[in-house]
Parts: sequence; C-alpha cells; structure tokens
Amino acid sequence: MSDRKEITLTINGKQVEGKDGDTVLEVCRANEIYVPTLCFLEGLSTVGSCRLCVVEIDGERRINPSCTYPARDGLVVKTHTPNLEKYRRLILELIFTERNHFCFFCAASGDCELQSQAYRYQMDHARYPYTFPALPTDTLNDFLVIDHNRCILCGRCVRVCGEVVGNHTLDFSRRGWRTLVVADLNQSLGQSSCISCGACQQACPTGAIFSKVSAYRGRPTESEVIQSLCSLCGVGCEIKVLVKNNNIVRIDGSQLTGPKGQLCDKGRFKQVYNETPRITKPLVRNKKGDLEPASWEDAWKLVADKINDYKGRQGAASIAGFVSSLCPTETLDAFAKLMRNNIGTSYVDTLDGSSYRALTKGISTSSQDGKGLAIESPLEAILDSDCVLVVGSNPLESHPVAGCYVLRARARHKAKLIVIDSRPNTFGFRADIYLRPKDGSEDTLFGALGGLVAKKAKSAEKQMRFSSLAKAAQATGLDKAAIQEAAAMLSSAKKPVVIYGEGILNTNNPKLVARLLDLAKVVSRDGLKVVSMKPRGNSRGAWELGIANQNGIAKAKPKLVYVLMSDDAFEMGDWVPQADQAEFLVVQASYSSPLTDCADVVLPSPIWAERKGKYVSLDGKVGHSQKVLEPPSGIKDDTEIISKLAKKL
Amino acid sequence: MGKVKLATSWLDACAGCEMSLLDVDEFIIDLAQAVEFTRSPITDIKEFPEVDVGLITGAIGMDEQEEEAKELRAKCKILIVLGDCACFGGICAMRNAFPKEEVLRRAYIECESVKDGKIPSSPEIPVLLEKALPVNAVVKVDCFVPGCPPRAGDIKYALSELLQGRIPVLPSEMMRFD
Repeated sequence: MSDRKEITLTINGKQVEGKDGDTVLEVCRANEIYVPTLCFLEGLSTVGSCRLCVVEIDGERRINPSCTYPARDGLVVKTHTPNLEKYRRLILELIFTERNHFCFFCAASGDCELQSQAYRYQMDHARYPYTFPALPTDTLNDFLVIDHNRCILCGRCVRVCGEVVGNHTLDFSRRGWRTLVVADLNQSLGQSSCISCGACQQACPTGAIFSKVSAYRGRPTESEVIQSLCSLCGVGCEIKVLVKNNNIVRIDGSQLTGPKGQLCDKGRFKQVYNETPRITKPLVRNKKGDLEPASWEDAWKLVADKINDYKGRQGAASIAGFVSSLCPTETLDAFAKLMRNNIGTSYVDTLDGSSYRALTKGISTSSQDGKGLAIESPLEAILDSDCVLVVGSNPLESHPVAGCYVLRARARHKAKLIVIDSRPNTFGFRADIYLRPKDGSEDTLFGALGGLVAKKAKSAEKQMRFSSLAKAAQATGLDKAAIQEAAAMLSSAKKPVVIYGEGILNTNNPKLVARLLDLAKVVSRDGLKVVSMKPRGNSRGAWELGIANQNGIAKAKPKLVYVLMSDDAFEMGDWVPQADQAEFLVVQASYSSPLTDCADVVLPSPIWAERKGKYVSLDGKVGHSQKVLEPPSGIKDDTEIISKLAKKL
Repeated sequence: MGKVKLATSWLDACAGCEMSLLDVDEFIIDLAQAVEFTRSPITDIKEFPEVDVGLITGAIGMDEQEEEAKELRAKCKILIVLGDCACFGGICAMRNAFPKEEVLRRAYIECESVKDGKIPSSPEIPVLLEKALPVNAVVKVDCFVPGCPPRAGDIKYALSELLQGRIPVLPSEMMRFD
C-alpha cells in the first residue's frame, strides 16, 4: 500500500499531508495533531463507539468521529473548537454516570485512559444523574478479572480478542445501555474458551479488565520500563517489564497489535512472580545426609575435587553434564566449554536433547537432507497460510502465541486447519479435520496423505514411500473418507504450512519426522513451509551450538552428573534418568525441586529476570533478553559460577 | 475588609477530607487570619449562621444530611464541596448497587461482628436514603475539589482562589480522583 495517493487536508487552518485510505484521525496523528481517543487502538479496526475523537468537517451537518471518517483531498477539519471541547466533556460525563467509575479503589487508577481524559477536561463533577447500575464482576479466571462496573463498552478487548489473538472469546451481549462484554455464550471467563493471554487486559483503557497478579503491585508511572525478550518457549516475544523496587509489577507485550507484541498466559502472568522456594545459598550434603548451607568457596572446591577425583580414577567419560535450554547462549557456551575443554568429556546434553535427536535425524533421512534446521520457515508463515497441518502438537498449550497465529489465520482469511495427533489434543476441537491415528501408525497416515495429494497433482515424487489408502485406514483405525477429505484439503491449499511438536519429537522416532517432511514436500507448492515447536526458549540456540549430544548419554551411565537447570520448571517427564544413577549429583538451580532434594551439591542460579543474554528463537531469529531484577544477595551469574569452577579444576 | 465567614458540614464521609484540610501546614495560619470558622468540627458550633462560604465534605446518604446540605446552601453565598464522596458519591455510593434494605440487613444483622442485631428504627435517628448521592444531585454547587482525599495543595489552591474572589476549577495537572 506504499503507492497510495498523497492527499492534502486542511486541519486547524494548516495544510497537512495524508495518504488516500487514511482516516482523518490517522492524518492527525501522522501530523502530530492530538485528538483525544478512547475506543481507538492502533492496529485494530475502528468502530467510533466512544465519540471522543469527534471533529468538525466543513460541509458536514454534524460533528463526526475522526477515527472512522475517511480522509480525502481538500477536506477542511477542525479538531479543537469550543463546541467540540464542550461535547467531549459532555461525553466523559455521560460515560462516568453510565456505570460505577469510582477511581479510589480501582487497580487501574493512575493508568487509566478514561481517568486521564477526565483530568484533561477538568471533569470535577458530572451534571447528569448517576445511574449506579448493579453490575457483576467475573473473577473465575486464574489471571484476569472483568469488572463490568468500569467498562465503557469501547470494544477494544472484543476487537483484540478477535482480530489479534484470533480466539474471539469476547463479544457483546444485549443492546444499548444493557450491553455487556461476555465470554462465549455468557460464560464466566474462567469457564470459557479464553486462553488467558491477557491481550484484552492490555487493550482495556480502564480497569474493567485487570490482572490478578499485577493489581496493586505498583503504577506504571512509578515503575521502570525495561524492554526485554520472553525466553520461555522459543517464539521470542518482545516484552515490556515494569519494575518497581526490584519487583516485577507487570509484563506487557511491547506493542500489542504489532509483530511479536502478543503474549500468552505464561509470558504475561506466570512470570510475574513464582512462589516456589528459591535456592539462595550453595548447599552441600553433610555426613548425616542432609543438605546444609556452605560457602561458595567450599562448594566450588568440593565439586572441583569430586570432578578431579572421578576424572583421575575413572576417566572424563564418567562425567556428564545436562543444561536447560532456557539459559542464554552465553551460559550454554560456558557450560559446554567447561564440560568439553576443562573436564574433557563429550557427554554434554540439553534437557530436551531427545527432541533434537529426533528432529535432526528425521531431517537428515528425509528428502530434505543436508540443510538441517535451515529448512524451517519463519513463524510468520503461519499468518499467511491458507491451510495449516498441525501434527503432534497443541501449540496453544506449548507455544500459545504460535497457536494464536493459527487462530488468527483462521479468523482473518478462513485458513483450514487439520490436526493429526495420536494423543488426546484439545487443539483438534478447533480444527476442520481432527485425525487421531493409533499410536505408532502416524507414518502410514503421512504416506497415505502424501500418496493422495501426489496423485491429485500428478506429481512424481519418487523419494516418498507412499502408503495405500486401504493400508493406512487399517493401520490407523481412521475412516477412509476422513483421510481422503484431509488429502483433498491439503491438495487445494495454496500456501500450506506444517507445524509439528512434542507428539512427534518426543517419540524418539526420527522416521516420523522424515515421513512428515516428505509429506510436507509433496503438499508444498510455494516452497516448503515447516515449523517445529522446539520445547524451550533457547532450544535452537543450544542445538546450533552443538550442545545436544548426537547419541544421547543413556548408555554411558555417568558417575558424576552436573545438571544446570536454572529456573526451568521441574517436571517428572523431564527427569534426567542419569541423575538417578549418578554417584555424585551437582544441581545448579534457581528453585527448590525434587531434583535439588536428591543432589549432593546444590548451587543457586539466577532466574530469567536476573540474567541477560542471547536467545535464538525456534525459527532461528536472534534476540537478547535484559536483566530486569537484581538477584537476591549471594546469587551469582551462571557463567561466573562456571568460570570460577573451571579455574579450580 | 472583614473576615470571610466559613461554615463547614461533614456529611456521609470518613474525615479524610478534614484531615487533608488540616494538612495544609502553615497556610492554616493565613487561613485563620482571613477566615472566620463558624460551624465546623473544630469550633463545635451547632447552628449555621449566614456565611460567605459553605464547605461540604461527604455524600448525601441520609435525610438529615439532605436537610443539612439544603440549609447550608440557603445560608451561604458560595458552596464548595471537597472530596470524591461530595463530588461523585465516592465510597458511599458503593452501596448503591444494593437495595437499601439489603444494606441495612448486612450492616446490622448479618455482619460478622454483630450478635442479635436489629435494624435501628427509632424516629429520632436519621433515615438512610435509597441511594447515596453526590452533593450536586441535591443542591447547586459552585466549586468542586475532587480527590480521595483531595491533596492539601488542592484545598489550599481552591481556598486561596476563593479568597481572591475567583471560583476555581482545579487545573488538569492537579486533578486526582484517588
């Protein structure tokens, strides 16, 4: 749209330039003419519901909202006549008297667009009778509260939920002054299809939708705002962290409607604070078998002595290291060097190394050999796609923002969605076709789909081992018609994208990845579009560094195991089996967990907010996270812990 | 010129506004020189004389308060209201979402600290209005100073302006609703 025609308008007696297709408000903003708004939010559609942005336009009988009025050449506009200011004040008074806008106990006071407009228009009283309606408050969601008393019905939450998140949980019910924002068919938010991403809360101009974890923790005006990167899942969302007195007040998306500005429940809410007990001092197991606090020097010396001891008696191969790929590249690199160079063992792995092995072996045995992770597409390819095939993944659970990209493609241009997963997968209920093949029969299904698509396209993909429909139907237990329907959908797609995740990567079966990539190749018209949902924030960074051991360490049975898990959440599924068998276990972690409980030495590690570093997103983009909090005293950076230890070896 | 006569009335409010008035520091001396406090919580005078300025804090929550506001309005030339309760209904208006009977039952019978409670019904005590209202819903108000409570500086600004013969409207940068 860069070749749009230039137009000239007269605003407040001044000639200003705009582009054909702009609204009057957009021309005003581009020319730094302030027009007050409430329902307008850049990047969303405009509805003109609040009427605060009204302007006078020559030739129009009435005043008009500038946010919906198309600009055209020669338009003469006035934005701040006494008449308009009178109406704006009147509108504010009507909004204030319509519901219960009492600021003194509101979580958003001091951070409220309605309040600041009221201050601007010196609204010290309302000339209309207050209606004092009895309105409900919905508090059942884990993170969000909807307080209808404070709602001005601007619809920013409704639009952001539908247009940006693509979930369309929120909408309006009823009409006129009885209108209420509701979730689904008037469910409470906690029981609705809401994914708790919090976009509505960030979009809300008042305190009508606020976050339970951030309410009353501090005001933005009292907080320092630090731009950083969410390092949880590899989507690489840009975050704005509000910090007051070394506490996180709130986490916002850097630009709600811009690229990488959308967040999920994990990034926005769960990271604000964590009540799991922190490890703040080095702990060493004493003679009685209990962990007791020790000095850094003693802890380092003990670990160094043990490493030297095992290395001397049993060789470096008796030592293995595991690192969480939530750590930034600098830490990963330091850990790998400690293991390889200082200790001399090749047994280094990431906690999600098995995903890596399935992925790389799969790619190398598919027809895409030789390019490694470079065959993958940017996440944004999902947004343009007209047919998304999701295999073994529920992106709304594991990578919610990527899941929202799928929803947005569906909401914006009715993209088709096919979900294939042998496990129960709630994402399937959002799909056009949800196929649940029997466990282990997925490759036959991929083969049958590939065969049907290739037959339709009359292409002769020789690399792929096609399966017959009958055989696939028998192996998978699926209806033939369903498989045919999915194949037809893939055949008619112009820009298909294949997404796969933990259901494929955790099977330790590279063949599945290979067959899926072959299917993707048959389906692709416009170049291969594949995205794999790597488990953690810096998985790709760790794998590119070569940290994930190609063969795994399962057979080696290491005697001394060093686990750098940092603030990774301990899950039984991630249990490092080698840790169980190790004679000596060193765990470097931020939080107390069953793994630290059975360690011989525990070293405290900073959490995400207390470190900075480089991250590589799941689609290979490099980003940097910033340090937003000072760690509790005594906690050192992971790289410092590693380098001090290395010096003692 | 003689002293400006001031009468104050404390209606449905928590005393925060009065505390804020006392919080104006040394301005209270200038104020005392320029203003004669007639009826106020400080002087303990019960009746409203004819005054230049009437000052109300708090919302109108009971019939007695409604009468008092009307009486003061009749006896003052300029009426100024302080605080969110007087300007908008404020904290007192939080009960407006519930019927009056429910509010009384909750306070006098169901409240956790009450044993064998009953709703007072003596003809000697004021009757709760159906809804707590901002003062300008009952009488004409000339000047509003919102805030919960208004900052001492806001009160000082408003009174100084009044003493110099101007009816003030708080500038945007001074306005606070909390």
